[in-house]
Amino acid sequence: MDELKKKRLFDSAASPLIAILAALAVGAIVMLLTGTNPLYAYKEMFTKSFFKPYYLAETLVRSAPIMLSGVAAATVWRAGYINLGMQGQMCVGGLVAAVMAIYLPVHSLWGTALCILGGMAAATLIALIPTYLDYKFNASLIITTLMLNYAINHITNYFVAYPMRDTAGDGMAQQSVQIEQSLRFFRFSNKNAMNTSVFIAILVVILMYFVFTKTKFGYESKITGLNKNFANYGGIKSMKTMFQTMALSGALSGFAACIEIFGVRYRYVNSMFSSTGYAWTGLMAMLIAGYNPLLTLVYSIFLAGLNIGGTALQRTVGVPMQIADIIQCCITLFISVNFLYEFNKKRSGKCRKKVGKRWETGGVA
Amino acid sequence: MNNLYLAAVINTTFRYTTPVLFAALGSLACTKCAVFNVALEGQMLAASFVAIVANYYTHNAFISLLAGVAAGAFVAWIVAVFQIKWKVRDMVVGTAMNLLVQSVTAFLMQAIFGSRGTVQGFGMVPLTKINLSFLKFSPFLYRMFEDLSTIDYLGYIVAVLIFIYFYKTVSGFHLLSVGINADAADSLGIKSQRIQIWAMVFSGILCGFGGVVHAMGNVTVFAENMTSGRGFIAMGAASMAQSHPLGAIASSLFFGTALSLSKTLQGYINSYFTEAIPYLCTVLAITIYGVVISTQRRKATIKM
Amino acid sequence: MLVEMKQITKTYGPLVANNKLDLSLNKGEILAVVGENGAGKSTLMKILYGLETCDSGEILIDGKPVRFRSPHDAIANGIGMVQQHFMLFPTFTAAENIVYGHEPKKELIFFDRKDAASQVQALCKQYGMYIQPDIKVADCPVGLQQRIEILKVLYQGVNIIIFDEPSAVLTPQEVSELLKTLKELKNAGKSIILITHKLSEVMEVADRIMVMRLGQLIKTMKKEDTNIEELSFLMVGHKLETREIQKIEQGDAVLQVEHLTLSGTGTKNILDDISIHVRHGEIVGIAGVSGNGQSELIQCLTGIKKFDSGKVIINNTDVSNRSVQENRDSGCACVPEDRYFWGTASDATLLENSIMAHYHKKHMMRYGVLNRKNIKKFTNDMLAEFDVRYTSDKQAGKELSGGNVQKLIVAREISQHSPFLVAAEPTRGIDIGAIDFIHGKLLDKRNSGDGILLVSSELSEIFALSDRIYVMYEGRIAGEFSRAEATRDKVGLIMMGGKLNG
Repeated sequence: MDELKKKRLFDSAASPLIAILAALAVGAIVMLLTGTNPLYAYKEMFTKSFFKPYYLAETLVRSAPIMLSGVAAATVWRAGYINLGMQGQMCVGGLVAAVMAIYLPVHSLWGTALCILGGMAAATLIALIPTYLDYKFNASLIITTLMLNYAINHITNYFVAYPMRDTAGDGMAQQSVQIEQSLRFFRFSNKNAMNTSVFIAILVVILMYFVFTKTKFGYESKITGLNKNFANYGGIKSMKTMFQTMALSGALSGFAACIEIFGVRYRYVNSMFSSTGYAWTGLMAMLIAGYNPLLTLVYSIFLAGLNIGGTALQRTVGVPMQIADIIQCCITLFISVNFLYEFNKKRSGKCRKKVGKRWETGGVA
Repeated sequence: MNNLYLAAVINTTFRYTTPVLFAALGSLACTKCAVFNVALEGQMLAASFVAIVANYYTHNAFISLLAGVAAGAFVAWIVAVFQIKWKVRDMVVGTAMNLLVQSVTAFLMQAIFGSRGTVQGFGMVPLTKINLSFLKFSPFLYRMFEDLSTIDYLGYIVAVLIFIYFYKTVSGFHLLSVGINADAADSLGIKSQRIQIWAMVFSGILCGFGGVVHAMGNVTVFAENMTSGRGFIAMGAASMAQSHPLGAIASSLFFGTALSLSKTLQGYINSYFTEAIPYLCTVLAITIYGVVISTQRRKATIKM
Repeated sequence: MLVEMKQITKTYGPLVANNKLDLSLNKGEILAVVGENGAGKSTLMKILYGLETCDSGEILIDGKPVRFRSPHDAIANGIGMVQQHFMLFPTFTAAENIVYGHEPKKELIFFDRKDAASQVQALCKQYGMYIQPDIKVADCPVGLQQRIEILKVLYQGVNIIIFDEPSAVLTPQEVSELLKTLKELKNAGKSIILITHKLSEVMEVADRIMVMRLGQLIKTMKKEDTNIEELSFLMVGHKLETREIQKIEQGDAVLQVEHLTLSGTGTKNILDDISIHVRHGEIVGIAGVSGNGQSELIQCLTGIKKFDSGKVIINNTDVSNRSVQENRDSGCACVPEDRYFWGTASDATLLENSIMAHYHKKHMMRYGVLNRKNIKKFTNDMLAEFDVRYTSDKQAGKELSGGNVQKLIVAREISQHSPFLVAAEPTRGIDIGAIDFIHGKLLDKRNSGDGILLVSSELSEIFALSDRIYVMYEGRIAGEFSRAEATRDKVGLIMMGGKLNG
């Protein structure tokens, strides 16, 4: 019993570690191919992400939208539905919040709260469109959410290119005007971007852990994800779960966008959520974390650090910063296999009856 | 709007259809044997990039084509190993692989060409163009088929060949059977996993063609994430065709039209909105498709 | 000696499925392998057919040792198998299914469907088993599907055919057809291994009989030297006791179904004008060959499926086409027919599996937040009471054996203490001890005054527990019997669509 617990603990710690090391090895090979000393590059990368105050602050600030969008994705994925539209939801949430902040007579903390709520509401609505299409017309959530990312990105860019464009200065940059001082999250110093929003993001993620593990909603969505028929049989309406999780996911994505706008950028910038790839990094973080919000938090900080370190690496060594993304994708892939390896080991040790598939119920349409 | 302009629009439609058609065929080849291929996008992008790199070094369109197709197949093979052999969830492998290819291509683009954004010029050659001189009698028809590459025509031929393969050959029969009941196939000595892996690799080859045409069919160019969702559009096309290879021609032409409209309408509507057209069309199309299917079902139940 | 298996041993973890088994088969004979569920018959046959490999022991064919890595090897050595779950492709035609794996070709790669059809017709003629080559398998009744399966095995050109529980899914009439076929095959020179636990069939067709119990070979003997009583004693290992059913006063109806109708995609209704009732203190059995609308009836009663017309009244509340939750609130609990498809989530913990449909009760949840302490106590108490063997309540459901999962489900549903319970196939495929335990619990529930609707394709179970029996055939209630007037013959006749005289 105790042995079993110990072994499980070991497994749960060892498999991500192995995956990370393997992914770093892949990164090293890639760097060797481009003629860079990987040891030097990694040293550079990790010092300039976690071990210097300025970079650590940057990493933490970067991790906030990542962890929120990661938890947003986890909310839906663990219920067995697929939301790939966090990026589009962030765009809409961010744009609406920015519009409210710029054009409404709102000030100070309450103003910020109002704008964020507006942004979250807008993102929620956008997330519910594909949900409704899936519910009503059986339009695959995977395709619709992804397609909306592209469409929304183009359309939101229109606003900062034309009606909302900041014409001050040379007016070349496609971005909105800045939001006023009193609406911004508090920054601790002028030297870095560290601000209060990061702590709020962490609190929200911890809250989501509580929601996932201790509440009726968390239980119902988890069961729906594991076996929809079982959920239906027990009185859980899987369609209701889909709407609930997608709405929550949209709201979290919208919140993630607001954190970036009110804490870091102070304006809506052309393609600000598609070029940074927060949503996708978040998705990777939550996949590595196996839908667990607390682990998502940890991995978000780690992946954010890789990104920050990667950017620094590009500046100093000249290795393209995409090395960070390569490592991040490799971790996800390696972890996914490792999970299964364990699963197989467990299964092969036990009585395994191969039951023929009853084709009345099975089969692919 | 004069006639020749219309011909030009149709011509653009053909060009935009080809990559979608190839990828849609790849998607349905997997679906038919019960594999869900989410990494179409990554397979196309890898092919586009490798074709451009090969082009840059060899200035030979044929070698570029082969290299691109091989790259598509290679990515598909990795996906197949993860997804089919190691039974990793399709969405996880697919998403991670799409992102991986996206970042690897962006990385290598900077490492090889030293540029960010787009790669163009360097004396790279496009695919061989065919002009049907016997159509010269009609400027409209001539313009319609002007400067299409061999691969553009190949797409439709491949669709027909796949149709024949599925429904007339023994091997295609086995592939379909795996999609219906893999356990039964296994119990009768047909190695279903092997067939699934090959189907995935085959879909990689098809996506490879799609990716190469996308990069070298018109202007020879590579841009970061240049497939921009075409793999998923193709997935929509395949599902609208109910995984029928000939149906895929029709649905791909529809998406080709949407893609070409997004370019040709730019003179009339703000480009930020026209760029969104193909994506909104995809959402709309699979929704309408859902409506049609559900009313068909309802009719079927009322009939009795 | 055609086939010999010597000292075959196969273990799955701690479970010894086959312990040093010997089997021999002569040419042109029917060997019956009998034993209860879990005796290891299927495992032994899977080893012979190459679906499993044995840990130790050897297989000889015509005196030569062989090793099968896959069914392909077995077929190449002349061994075919008609499996319990048919290995067919429903959207393909009969001919396509029969020639599968050995398709006639033209021009090397093309599938010659015409030739396939004519070959199938020739095969039909040869063995006197007729079938339309171009009929779709999905349109065939179960008996015909089995015939396709047999033809498929014959097409592979095998001499030895293994039948794994062939009569489990058939109506009594189809069973007699099957037995005739077996005899014809034997006369055509084929050797047959028949796995079953139905002793009457064995006595009708078998030449020799091999009895297994708990992975051990008990005895092999000639048919002439034995009888049903001895066989059943050898199979079970002790005399079967029949349970006394206590007489109790039956109250008002707790379930009332009026004219329930559910349409299908075709021209026929899946459920057609069903009117049944269950009273307090009564177990009502629904007998029938599976696939005659029982599954749909259960789903309509519990609110999972919406029906076209009719009424369902549970505990005096009209719950027609209401949600599952409303159904449960009005006093309905359900042991679903498939424990993995409906009854549990294999990857969820025992805690999570146990609190389904309980978790929103007051002591477990407040303001949407679950009370872990009470949930733990509830689960552990419940699992202990129902004798579920587990090591930790955080174990995943898939780590339990089938019988224990079934006990968990029964425990969960009985703990609802609802006035009405649907028990669908409550003991399918589990060991005798667990069956006995679950039957006891169901009877206790009945004796405490609750109503139970027992849906089972196992006639013996229906007869062991029911106060009243309905028989379903093609979506209709084809007959109703009280306990006193029901006999196996009468019920069996109705099950296959026959009519009682008078």
